[in-house]
Amino acid sequence: MSGTESIVFDSPRREWRADTFAMWVFVGSEAMLFGAIFLVFLFAHIDFGPAFASASKHLSLPLGTFNTAVLITSSFTMALAHMFALHKRWRPAVWSLLATSSLGVCFLVVKGIEYGKEIDEGLAPLLGLPFRYAGPDPVHAEFFFSLYFTMTCLHALHLVGGILAIAGLLAFWPKARPGNRQRRVVAVGLYWHFVDIVWVFMFPVLYLINR
Amino acid sequence: MSELQKLVFGYVGLLALLALTVGSSFLDLGGFNVALNLTIAAAKTVLIALLFMHLTGTLPRLAVAAAGLWLVILFGLTVIGR
Amino acid sequence: MTSAMMPSTYLAEGSSPGAWLLTTDHKRVAWLYLVSLTAFFFLGGAMAVLMRVELATPAGDLVADDIYNRLFSLHGIIMVWFFLVPSIPATLGNFLLPLMIGARDLAFPRLNLASWYVFIFGSLFALFSVVAGGVDTGWTFYTPLSTLYANGFVSTAALGVFIVGFSTIMTGINFIVTVHTLRAPGLTWFRLPIFVWTLYATSLVMVLATPVLAASLILIVLERVFGIGIFNPDLGGDPLLFQHLFWFYSHPAVYIMILPGMGVVSEVLPCFSRRPLFGYKAVALSSMAIAVFGFLVWGHHMFVSGQSAYGSVIFSFLSFCVAIPSAIKVFNWSLTLRKGEISFETSMLYALFFLGLFTFGGLAGLFLAALAVDVHLHDTYFVIAHFHYIMVGGMVTAYMAGLHFWWPKLTGRMYSETAGRIAATVTFVGFNLTFFPQYMLGFDGMPRRYHTYPPEFQFWHVLSSAGAVVLAIGYLMPLFYLGSSLFRGARAPDNPWNATGLEWQTSSPPPPHNFETIPVVTRPAYAYDMKGLEHERFSPHRPAPP
Repeated sequence: MSGTESIVFDSPRREWRADTFAMWVFVGSEAMLFGAIFLVFLFAHIDFGPAFASASKHLSLPLGTFNTAVLITSSFTMALAHMFALHKRWRPAVWSLLATSSLGVCFLVVKGIEYGKEIDEGLAPLLGLPFRYAGPDPVHAEFFFSLYFTMTCLHALHLVGGILAIAGLLAFWPKARPGNRQRRVVAVGLYWHFVDIVWVFMFPVLYLINR
Repeated sequence: MSELQKLVFGYVGLLALLALTVGSSFLDLGGFNVALNLTIAAAKTVLIALLFMHLTGTLPRLAVAAAGLWLVILFGLTVIGR
Repeated sequence: MTSAMMPSTYLAEGSSPGAWLLTTDHKRVAWLYLVSLTAFFFLGGAMAVLMRVELATPAGDLVADDIYNRLFSLHGIIMVWFFLVPSIPATLGNFLLPLMIGARDLAFPRLNLASWYVFIFGSLFALFSVVAGGVDTGWTFYTPLSTLYANGFVSTAALGVFIVGFSTIMTGINFIVTVHTLRAPGLTWFRLPIFVWTLYATSLVMVLATPVLAASLILIVLERVFGIGIFNPDLGGDPLLFQHLFWFYSHPAVYIMILPGMGVVSEVLPCFSRRPLFGYKAVALSSMAIAVFGFLVWGHHMFVSGQSAYGSVIFSFLSFCVAIPSAIKVFNWSLTLRKGEISFETSMLYALFFLGLFTFGGLAGLFLAALAVDVHLHDTYFVIAHFHYIMVGGMVTAYMAGLHFWWPKLTGRMYSETAGRIAATVTFVGFNLTFFPQYMLGFDGMPRRYHTYPPEFQFWHVLSSAGAVVLAIGYLMPLFYLGSSLFRGARAPDNPWNATGLEWQTSSPPPPHNFETIPVVTRPAYAYDMKGLEHERFSPHRPAPP
């Protein structure tokens, strides 16, 4: 077959188009998943605005801001990888991918530190851990932290998925043909950027309520 | 290399928007803090989608438009029904 | 190219377990789904039969209340997610979509196989819940019952449904991309068979609605396992929000189930009345309209749940509107039959039964869309009868029509037409006997989900239970005559029904990659009024006659 990976397609261009479209449809599908979770948060926020605002102040703004910058940077390096791959400059492409996944790991480590801090302060209403919250309206503050852990864990899981996808991409890198390398970088990149966009919304919604 | 310039522009723009959204949260704008935050998040999304994700071509736009329309339905009708 | 160079049919490509379980041929994956879905259909059916036997007498003498709750919950969960949602798309759709659009396979063959493994993995969770002790929340998993009070295996069942959702999304993405990128030259959108249109519309709903179900199920599992109180009012949560998320998926899911059935009927009716489909564009576009409007009506499940009255009025109005595209289809199907040379082959019988049962069930839906009437009928047997007329009378009947229509293409064998006609008729009689009495019961006020009832309801219940036995026989018969056709059936010609459509232009069964060269399409679909059709149309590689 003329440079296509699958017998189904008659030209690499068509195969490329199908791949990209499929990733976009998948991203749309994922957007519905996070949309539903955000919907839950929106209604809780409407109902218990003051409790949520004061609970939000217990999150660490410096760490949250730092992490947002980390993810934005990782998206930038992913976009660089895309650019280098399209120009067939393989060495910088690999370095960009490594940088991207390292920044992803960095985000997870910082997130872990944050979780540790919150668990120490008794702000994690999970698994029957004691919930010690000093502010007003502790019941609805607990609801806020439930949502906070649900949303950030779901996002973190997606990030882990992205890191594994890059790892898989690099594992098959040496044997892959140029066309396949490019298609995979584009596909993984689309997913990575989407996970970044989710965080772009999660950060102000969780950390910046009427601070 | 204008391609690289575009990416750098996007990156700097995203960091500037991040600074703007964090900074604005220290000002009390009444009910407008949330609206401003969400507007900035939407602006960041546009930057990422256009510059990093290369949102071009009919089919990808179709997918994004469909997801957008369905999110509007989900949020809009739930607000009405509640 | 001689037939000696490649296996002549996809069935001859190897019969070892590995050749089936590791295949990426869409036709073989369709068989993997067909076998597993048939098993689930009869498992869910057996639970229904147990319930009907219990309901033959007013007292609870066969099963206790607790067991009865588990029976109807698992019947619903299995039938909805492990049979109806994947039924036509994953079997007939998988097999036919590439054939119908002139492609060698789906856009992502490996993703297609992966979707089956994900389906099986999810179904293991559901089967575990059955064996381990069941679930008693109903298939709807309503909170706070499912999160705070139910003591069954809610989490594993919900996880099973969650995982199966991935397989649904994979199939949906695969179909959407295939239809957009792999149509044969000349096959414009308005030359596509309606079955392809309905698969496309269904995939759209699958991809955009399933994630919302996934979100609500995740939240239930988190609440049960980690004690996070999203839907728990004691912790500020909102149980009603679960219903919104659940029905945002589950009402459109009804259209996931029925749309492909509509597609099958749109293929069968023109073929056996030898007429082009009346109003092709209206039928095609109404499929898309159903896919979109189907998302606007979920609130009609919640008229008595305490949503805002204003919201209820809007949802009621929109629910009436969604009947319009369905009615457009029904009228166009009826007009297709007009002045046709109608013959009553088995699949045509099923298709005609579909037309009647779907219309009947759909009209009952209008009762339920009316606010005041719904307050009386909500959660009664009227609702049960309504959606079984659509899901079983409509969807399963269309599935049987499709299975009989394309069986020669799937297997290369003909089945006994007499046995088929008898089974179709038995099914039709049994179905109406089972579910028509339930309209009466519901209208008289018999609530759903009870294992005992006052004696005055017994007449209708006995009729319904008797009908269930007849219906079960009607569904068991095809196992035998279709099964025996595999070994003793006559060899099927390439186009036994003299139908249009690219799938009939290949051999029966088709070669491994469907088409030696990709065909060029020059005609609209359903050109039954054109003379000498089969000679003019593209004729791909087929093995030389012996």
